[in-house]
Amino acid sequence: MDTVIELKKATKSFPGVRALKGFDLNIYKNEILGLVGENGAGKSTLMKVLIGMYQLDEGEYLLRGQPAKMKSSNDAIKEGVGMVFQEGCMLLNMTITENLFLSNEQAFIKNGILNLSEMRNEAKTALAKVELNIDPQTPCSRLSPAQRQMVEIARLLWLSEHYGKDNPVMILDEPTTVLQQKEADTLFRILDDIKKHATIILISHRLEEVIENSDRIVVLKDGDYVTEMPADQASVEGIEELMVGRNLSGEHFRESEQREPETENFLEVRNLTIEGVFEPMSFSVKKGEILSLVGLIGSGKEELCQCLAGVRRPTGGEILINGKNVLIKSPKDSIRSRIGYIPIDRRKEGLATDFDVADNINMLILNSLKSKGFLSRFKEAANAKKWVKEALIKTPSIRTKCRNLSGGNQQKVVISKWLAAESQLLVLDHPTRGIDVGAKDEIYHRIRLLAQEGRCLIMMCDTLEEDIGLCNRMLIMKDGKLVKILNCPAAEKPEPLEILSAIV
Amino acid sequence: MNAHAKQRMQIPAIYISLSMLILFLVIFFIGNPSFFKRYNLLTIGTSASILLAVGMGQVFTILTGGIDLSVGGIMSLVSVIFMALLNDYGLMAFPISLAVGVLAGFINGYLNSQLKIPSFITTLGTGGIFVSVAYMISEKPLSAPTSAFKMLDIVNGMSFGFKHIMFIAAGIFIIFYIIQRYTVTGRNILLMGSNEKMCWLSGVNVFWIRIIAFTLSGLGSGFAGILLASTLYSGYPTIGNVYILNSIATVVVGGTALTGGAGGVVNTLIGALIMSVLNNGMNVIGIDVYAQQSILGAMIIIAVAVSFDKKKVTVIK
Repeated sequence: MDTVIELKKATKSFPGVRALKGFDLNIYKNEILGLVGENGAGKSTLMKVLIGMYQLDEGEYLLRGQPAKMKSSNDAIKEGVGMVFQEGCMLLNMTITENLFLSNEQAFIKNGILNLSEMRNEAKTALAKVELNIDPQTPCSRLSPAQRQMVEIARLLWLSEHYGKDNPVMILDEPTTVLQQKEADTLFRILDDIKKHATIILISHRLEEVIENSDRIVVLKDGDYVTEMPADQASVEGIEELMVGRNLSGEHFRESEQREPETENFLEVRNLTIEGVFEPMSFSVKKGEILSLVGLIGSGKEELCQCLAGVRRPTGGEILINGKNVLIKSPKDSIRSRIGYIPIDRRKEGLATDFDVADNINMLILNSLKSKGFLSRFKEAANAKKWVKEALIKTPSIRTKCRNLSGGNQQKVVISKWLAAESQLLVLDHPTRGIDVGAKDEIYHRIRLLAQEGRCLIMMCDTLEEDIGLCNRMLIMKDGKLVKILNCPAAEKPEPLEILSAIV
Repeated sequence: MNAHAKQRMQIPAIYISLSMLILFLVIFFIGNPSFFKRYNLLTIGTSASILLAVGMGQVFTILTGGIDLSVGGIMSLVSVIFMALLNDYGLMAFPISLAVGVLAGFINGYLNSQLKIPSFITTLGTGGIFVSVAYMISEKPLSAPTSAFKMLDIVNGMSFGFKHIMFIAAGIFIIFYIIQRYTVTGRNILLMGSNEKMCWLSGVNVFWIRIIAFTLSGLGSGFAGILLASTLYSGYPTIGNVYILNSIATVVVGGTALTGGAGGVVNTLIGALIMSVLNNGMNVIGIDVYAQQSILGAMIIIAVAVSFDKKKVTVIK
């Protein structure tokens, strides 16, 4: 088989993380390559390298035998490498034709003006290749998600033809999450046809789908290549095992510091629901309990957390704190109920990065740091110093701007901010995202301490292992439903495999 | 690129502004030594006082990431009302006129918070309305009644070698400094300018904070309108026009970022000094009056280019 893409010792690092750890990978012509791995395994980084959004730190990227020189996804498209993004990226207020040829209109300029009828005809031909029988003058906002995806695929095909690149490489990121089963079947039938003159890289969490529709499967884990296999020899269980790996022996998540929760409930949720997002669900969290919410994107777990944080309003159900019904309409209400929210994006939602450590730690309790009615610089400094010491925040001074701290220390500032406000329940949205290993352990330790103090924690973690390792109990959600509640005592943590099958 | 390598040494904007001020002082002194004559310095002080008052208000709206283009309209309206009331109400004309400024600012803030549209649009609109109201009160300039001359003479008088208006401006500065530095509201205005989403998630009432910021701007413009009318012994509906640009220039030249969150009243004090030194000095060393406008315009663009946080704004509108 001819290779179209060759990666040699591909290495890519971000501050604190080695996203790609230096592996080789060949991608061949006329194949559908299934790429699987957990969140954080390095799939997205790899894709962004392939389409030129990231450059490799070390190693080589050969495209059709030549070193790839693209500096942006725009360059990549001209080289015949394109990606259909999960969220889709088209201008919905414009027509299919306009979207198809966006930024390549010069191909249709005749005597200085755009030849619109030629554009339309060309669009028709392009759409026919993906079996989309629809007027190219339709605004994209009227298309179904499946049709939008087809338009994007048609665009990539047309572009590679336009730039004279044979065997284009098309990357599809979770293409079926927005599709019905029938639409997905159609998609794969068309892909099978397209593959006669193209290479398709399929990224999906749905393992059955990957096994059924790809020719070869590559498994990534922790930024490294694990193995590959022909799809007809793969099984869902086998891949799951490879994805999760078997390194759970030994202590990674400070399991020995895990304690049984107290008997009293702090939070009780009754029939809470957002219509169309997640169905009515009930659960409770005891004082001193760590609860993990597990599920794929779209399972409703994010939205559930947003209800607790006051970011979104539920359409039904009740939230009880210490047995008392509370109405949470805004973040302010949830703070009043002693709920703290540690968002996934620290820089955008957790911190004022232009401000110093003290200002950020103190911001929720400014009213208590006054003397004679005015803010007291002395009290502010005292409180900030207390928390810097308590939370082991490594900072040159309390007057250092947060943007100059590492990710781990920024996270500690955010947590301290909520602890200073005496939050009893912390909602942690991916608390260790983008934090290096050492700092991660300190965060784990902090989480344990908070639980031991009798606070409640509701978490969504980066990896399943982290969820299992940290929590006392786990709620598994799927497609907006609470499917399973699982105990995870320190002595007998459940196997990731049995959980994975409930999630997917 | 490695994020750690990108951290450059950050010189606080205030030092840049201070050096700029000193540089101008040196240039103008070399250009014409009589620049430092007492009389000239008092002239600079007077114009700086008015700029300071309007800048004190403007800086709070800019700190939230907004802008108040109605300050000129508020100043004009306040000056006309102030003059109209002086005869019948005497001293009471001061608080009433000030209240008009505050109310105007409150309207701006409420519209911004309620309608959720960019503040440059709302204040562009209300600014026009304020001017129009001023015209409806009096289309001709209103002069101070002779009965009020005594009162206005006090504003323009001198003690200890300084003009009284400079003491008033210092008082205004202290009020706004305390608001910014020692109140929770002031802190929240700054935090909101830095990261509004985070503030909302942290329970800050961003709706009210924005209203308060614009109300403070109305207060500053109210002060400025009264001071300006007092020095001129008259008020008219176009009196504030030049202060729209000048107040923004004062704030940004002082080093407050148009993107919000960084800077403040101390920066604006320096900005007011820079602007009035520049305005005066260009005359003193004999730069063509039409060329002066170009220099001011260029100054604003440079100041914003330096202080603008490009990371915050992905699309330049």
